Amino acid sequence: MRKSFIMAAAAAAIAFTAPAFATEMVFTSWGGTTQDAQKAAWADKFTAETKINVLQDGPTDYGKIKAMVESGNVNWDVVDVEGDYAVQAGNKGMLEKLDFKVIDKSKLDPRFVTDYSVGSFYYSFIIGFNADAVGAEGPKTWADLFDTTKFPGKRTFYKWSAPGVIEAALLADGVTPDKLYPLDLDRAFKKLDTIKKDIIWWSGGAQSQQLLASAEAPYGMFWNGRLTALKATGVNVGESWEQNITAADALVVPKSAKNRDLAMKFIALATSAQGQADMATATGYAPVNTQSGQLMDAALRKTLPDQQGASQVNADMRYWAEHRDEIGERWYAWQAK
Amino acid sequence: MLLNFDKLGMWKWVLTGFSVLVALFLLVPILFIVALSFGSSQWLIFPPPGWTLRWYQELLADPRWLESALTSAKIAIIVTLCSVILGLLASFGLTRGRFAGRETLRALFLTPMIMPVVVLAVALYAFFLKIGLNGTLLGFVIAHLILALPFSIISIGNALDSFDRSIEDAAILCGAHPLEAKLRVTLPGIRHGLFAAAIFSFLVSWDEVVVAIFMASPTLQTLPVKIWATLRQDLTPVIAAASTLLVVFTVVLMIVAALLRKGFKS
Amino acid sequence: MSVMTSTTSFAPELRQRRRPSGFAYIAPALLLIALFFIVPIASLLLRSVLEPTPGLSNYAELFGSWTYVRIFANTFLVSALVTLLSVIIGFPVAWLLAIIPNRWGSVLFAIILLSMWTNLLARTYAWMVLLQRTGVINKTLINLGLIDQPLVMVNNLTGVTIGMTYIMLPFIILPLRGVIKDIEPGILQAAALCGATKWQCLWGVLIPLALPGIASGALMVFVMSLGYFVTPALLGGTANMMVAEMIAQFVQSLVNWGMGGAAALVLLVVTLLLYAIQLRLFGVGRIGQEGQ
Repeated sequence: MRKSFIMAAAAAAIAFTAPAFATEMVFTSWGGTTQDAQKAAWADKFTAETKINVLQDGPTDYGKIKAMVESGNVNWDVVDVEGDYAVQAGNKGMLEKLDFKVIDKSKLDPRFVTDYSVGSFYYSFIIGFNADAVGAEGPKTWADLFDTTKFPGKRTFYKWSAPGVIEAALLADGVTPDKLYPLDLDRAFKKLDTIKKDIIWWSGGAQSQQLLASAEAPYGMFWNGRLTALKATGVNVGESWEQNITAADALVVPKSAKNRDLAMKFIALATSAQGQADMATATGYAPVNTQSGQLMDAALRKTLPDQQGASQVNADMRYWAEHRDEIGERWYAWQAK
Repeated sequence: MLLNFDKLGMWKWVLTGFSVLVALFLLVPILFIVALSFGSSQWLIFPPPGWTLRWYQELLADPRWLESALTSAKIAIIVTLCSVILGLLASFGLTRGRFAGRETLRALFLTPMIMPVVVLAVALYAFFLKIGLNGTLLGFVIAHLILALPFSIISIGNALDSFDRSIEDAAILCGAHPLEAKLRVTLPGIRHGLFAAAIFSFLVSWDEVVVAIFMASPTLQTLPVKIWATLRQDLTPVIAAASTLLVVFTVVLMIVAALLRKGFKS
Repeated sequence: MSVMTSTTSFAPELRQRRRPSGFAYIAPALLLIALFFIVPIASLLLRSVLEPTPGLSNYAELFGSWTYVRIFANTFLVSALVTLLSVIIGFPVAWLLAIIPNRWGSVLFAIILLSMWTNLLARTYAWMVLLQRTGVINKTLINLGLIDQPLVMVNNLTGVTIGMTYIMLPFIILPLRGVIKDIEPGILQAAALCGATKWQCLWGVLIPLALPGIASGALMVFVMSLGYFVTPALLGGTANMMVAEMIAQFVQSLVNWGMGGAAALVLLVVTLLLYAIQLRLFGVGRIGQEGQ
């Protein structure tokens, strides 16, 4: 009896919300200036070409993806996720296989291509500081950023468990880049403990910009594109690319997404040489399409993460994909302590 | 003498001074948002370097803000209607009915009001995911109705309690049909209760964040969800502009409510 | 509705025949509550003992882990702090509001209603910005020379306490005002005539007479604080998470329904226990009067 009522209610609900024809799809990313750029470089062009309206949602939330896939009610079509998550979720069967008949992968940097994902953009975690608040001489190295006597006050780091902060802590503690993996978590957390009370966590890119611009946290670790955007608004930002830590975002399609075919077409446009060039120009992140460089302003091209002369450390996406859950568990328990 | 303002002596000033401070504490954040919404600093530096209407322009230029406000209004209006009708019926049953367990039922009906919203939100989220109501208008309405109903039952119940029942009986004795007596005598008699029920139900739905966060989908977002999502990503002054408009809306609503209350009294 | 159809000329008798129970009136609301309140909550709680495997493993984990126990302890601490502050700040205001001449009273009253009715997120947003290290409050205090270093008032216990006390104050002031208004002034006059000082009157007569109102208001604020989500999530730091946020995180970020359900059950049991105490002591009528 209860069951039949539920069915009736469900039927009523379906009637109530009859899904519109596929005239729209949903793109989910991290919000703020990055998503604005993605909208301009990809979504608006896609709409112009196909007349399909692309709804913007966000921020990306892996729990939501899991809940949607488990319930079979998936309303995100293309999602911008972190590279390590893409590898892991693909292996767990949470993602649709990409259709490489639609998406041309021959021109894409192969480091960022799997059966389930292609690169979205390529970024570096770098050191940034508010030069108005601390002067031109800000922290140069990760060791500086972890040194509270040389640089007193608050510093901001990425809140979520993801490639970046742990690597920075180990580098600050003197681990050489070639010895970084497998990650020595005990050592990393011990190093992080030394500055824990001085950390303000940023949970999204826009928040990191706000913290730095208001000098709420006058230094910290940032996605390089967010500092580029911040400088463009006239804030006096200093940055250091010393041992910048690179990682890539990926574009994925959650399993049983409602508009799978549209999603493939969208990704094809987003990873095209022009799509990647426009995105890179707008954000200061590097393109994943090897042909994009030619379409960009040469001077600007030189400032992007993949052209930086400073020493660079690549975060190991495969390592992270394998250990994501256990690191996450320790990370959040440590944060809550 | 402690209950006579004029005879408090020195205490009068202490009490007044303290209350003025508290009033400021309550008022300052609201005035501050208004000021912030006109400030020109994108990074919320205050006092701002200049004044601007830019945030209002951005607010109006982004159709999603208006869309979510309309969604909120639509849901809140449906919830208000359902809540007043269901609340009216339930209050009749609870104040006049004679069946066992009335007090228990009354307590049950009021439970959603005191229970942690997050528990209800999570439970409904799981349930709606299963039956496909998540992210739908109907799902929103049901969830908010559960939260609004207690307020409706309290407001209408109180009005019914203080309504002199013999007036209704008198109408029936004079030959009115009982239904007619209810509609033409009792309902007008408890109209302030109905009005309070409507206002509270509307506000509960209009302001509700927690359930809405779980219930929202990319295509269906209420205003609080939009603010919440923006807040988590960004402290942009556009939020201050949206908040200011909400404050204005609240003030208008309060004035209307006060005028209507005056109308009821006369 | 069939219950309303018959007509007879004698009302009291008619009342009995016409309305054998009156149950039909509450049926629609009851159906709604049963289907969309009781069933979902019961099934959520069931999941806490069924997922991932049947048994009490989720509860063992919840109470066995220092992290989770700390979150519960912190929730009680914050709620107690907020309740205490609300009572201390709210009582004098309620008192004044009960006796002040009308014109000024209504101004104060309007301010309280305005703050109560302004969108919750808008108010929390204001505090996020006001309390920042570089915010107005810190700047003012520094300019006044009261402090050298900015105070840390956001992303920690201070921020949550300020933000929540702000939200809870109206919920204690308004009902308490009603209680004080109902006190017979003659009692206090009598006490004064017998030679009691003002302090004696306050502690010996006014506060004891207002105590039921204070207790019921405090209990309500405490219960509301226990389950609060938005303000702690926005004004608190990672080190002082509260239970509601933890439940949301279990469900939304970790998709762990078992643990989410277990934490929800604990929160629910505590809340309902306090609700039962409130009903016992003050009856159903008192609850929710704040809004009137």
